[in-house]
Amino acid sequence: MKKKLVALLLSAAMVLTLGGCGGTEGAAADSGSTVEGTGTEAVGEGTETADAENTDLSGDLVFAIYDNVLMTYIDENDMVGKFQEKYPNANIEVEKIKDDSEYWNSMKMRTSANQLPDVMINKTFTLSRFKDYLVDLSDLNSTANNEYAAGYAVDGKILGLPMVVNCNYVFYWKDQFEEAGITEIPDTWEEFKTAAKTLQDYYGKQNPDYMAIAMGAKDEWPDYPFMEFMPAAQGGNGQNWNDMAKTDTPFAQGTDINTAYHKIYDLFSSGVFGKDPLGLGNDQATALFAQKQAGMMVSGAWSLTAISEGAESTDNLGTFYLPVRDSESDPFNCVVQGDGFIGVTTHSKNPELAKAFVDWFMSEDWYGGYIQYCADDSTMTNSPKEKTPILAEADAAQPDVVNVMYDGGGDDFQAIQNEVTFDYKKLGAEMFTDGFDLDKRLEELDQSWTEARKTLNIN
Amino acid sequence: MNSLVKKQRKFIVFAMLIPTILLIGFVLVPAVDLFRMSFTDWDGWSPTRNFIGIKNYLNMFKNKDLWLSLRNNAVYFFAHLIMIPVELAFAIMLNTKFRGYKFYRFMVFMPFIINGVAISYAFSYFFSPINGAFDEILTVLGLEGWIRNWLSDTKIVNFVLAFVSLWRYSGYHVTLFTAALQSVPQDMQEAARMDGANSWQMFRYIQVPSIALMVDFVLFDNIRGALQAFDVPFVMTQGGPGYASSTFTLFTINTAFKFSNFGLAATMAVALVFIIIIVHVIQNKLIHGLILKEEK
Repeated sequence: MKKKLVALLLSAAMVLTLGGCGGTEGAAADSGSTVEGTGTEAVGEGTETADAENTDLSGDLVFAIYDNVLMTYIDENDMVGKFQEKYPNANIEVEKIKDDSEYWNSMKMRTSANQLPDVMINKTFTLSRFKDYLVDLSDLNSTANNEYAAGYAVDGKILGLPMVVNCNYVFYWKDQFEEAGITEIPDTWEEFKTAAKTLQDYYGKQNPDYMAIAMGAKDEWPDYPFMEFMPAAQGGNGQNWNDMAKTDTPFAQGTDINTAYHKIYDLFSSGVFGKDPLGLGNDQATALFAQKQAGMMVSGAWSLTAISEGAESTDNLGTFYLPVRDSESDPFNCVVQGDGFIGVTTHSKNPELAKAFVDWFMSEDWYGGYIQYCADDSTMTNSPKEKTPILAEADAAQPDVVNVMYDGGGDDFQAIQNEVTFDYKKLGAEMFTDGFDLDKRLEELDQSWTEARKTLNIN
Repeated sequence: MNSLVKKQRKFIVFAMLIPTILLIGFVLVPAVDLFRMSFTDWDGWSPTRNFIGIKNYLNMFKNKDLWLSLRNNAVYFFAHLIMIPVELAFAIMLNTKFRGYKFYRFMVFMPFIINGVAISYAFSYFFSPINGAFDEILTVLGLEGWIRNWLSDTKIVNFVLAFVSLWRYSGYHVTLFTAALQSVPQDMQEAARMDGANSWQMFRYIQVPSIALMVDFVLFDNIRGALQAFDVPFVMTQGGPGYASSTFTLFTINTAFKFSNFGLAATMAVALVFIIIIVHVIQNKLIHGLILKEEK
């Protein structure tokens, strides 16, 4: 019995050892940057179309993403196979991370462990955080075709190509506006407030659960069109965060952020968000808006998919831009931002291949189809996109809109923000609570801001 | 014989060595590193970290939002502490073999094995102000006047979250107590019964002393669990409104990941270890010295 047991253990050990050897060979082959399997299968087709210089590039790439829409498109359209048609010796592993919060946590960990993926996605506010770990993409063809990349250069380097450009819309139900007697699309902040109040008064009488503006403030982040973008829209200054870093008291009376936050507080505390916006998450709020339990919802173009899926019909769904201006003589500022900055990291073992991938990804071959699939607008001159009719209504309603290119804040701003623990989205959610004192909070923020600048030696 | 002894020794050495190496690698080294990190200004990704002495510790004591979060932990702690006698009573009840007792044992334990995030999501909808099941139940019972903003009223939000935490973890404690009660020797219990001990005397002088170790463990688990409460407030309220339902661990995680201050977060983690130890020592003194009046 004992002998049998020993023999069994030895056999198992041999199998494991052989398996291990096999694995090592496989790994060695991989590390030698030649890919078998799917890569080889694609050689026949790929070599016919690929450039001679491109076929030389080989190796493995990890492409980390968080966007569900992008992941679905990649899966449905065999991105890996299509890239291998052009680069037969390349292999790509697409790593999908649950959501963007988890994505940044993961990237932060991987930065300190020198384990960043070859190709990563950034947002406006993470570009400067990762600037030391991103390769300059200035020499790519796609960079030349990207309308917005140069505007987001950090220290003169193009560290990522924005895949999409987006702005926020006020989605609204036209039939509810009509029934409540709102005949004009709001063109100023006061008109917007009045429209919200009219809706709340009209429908709130019949339905105590009604919300003139739906917002899942429990999740905090859905207040971003107000708390994050309104200070920039208020003064038409996309560099608002960076400018705030240059002063000791950026929240003082008369500043853009002070004015914008007072306007927001005024709106948030007026009861137009229904009986308890802090009790609802974004999914719930979106679903309720889709079911016409709310008259308006302020969000990005990406919300259109969820609204359309939840609504019986979108025949009466319309959009307009959030009017921040005080009077019609002021410019109608609308914050626009590049998003999904695709870039190559310095941790990549195959940086040339990674750059070739980014160039291919943003070319008509791949990007042309992707941009038509997602709700956002195109950043590439060679892959233009027409807006969907519902979103195009906003342009028709406000033809004189002035786009304000938004910057998420550079090093100095983020250092101060971390030191002060300034969380504008949380602050927005707090505005819904009883007894919230905005002036006191802004004063406290100014004091902390001054101290932080001193501590961090920022002038 | 010698060979067998050698084998035994080898087995003992390996059996001791492997857990020791694992403990050193996965507990001791990270703990030392955590302690070291608490004296630095590391932001979580920079290759360098500067030694800043006890600055993080001073900043931690000055942070009023952090101590507000710790106060919220106290709600979980006391809610669970008050429930421990109830859990013990349930365990004694489930320890008797009545019809369907196995089903009830399973039902009591079930919330603990369901994913915590799923439970928190479910309760988010349960307490939702619009179409929320709890408000509907109150309405059906004619208690509309009791309806509140369960997840956004800063005065009650922590009690609502503590209730969810109780729903989830009480069954675990009941199961632990039940398992411990089953190990109480039957002959001892029968002898006590023959001596005329009533149910209370059986409970007080036979069952509780016999499961004292388990009671200690549950009490310690309560402190640890209450001070490390995270999933329920994170999913249900994000710690909000503001920091009204934030907990110490939630605040620590936000400090590390949202505000890129791993040094300060490490300081908070070190502080949490000491808080758990201090609360445990005080609780032990109170329960064993004053309530159970044990002589050491």
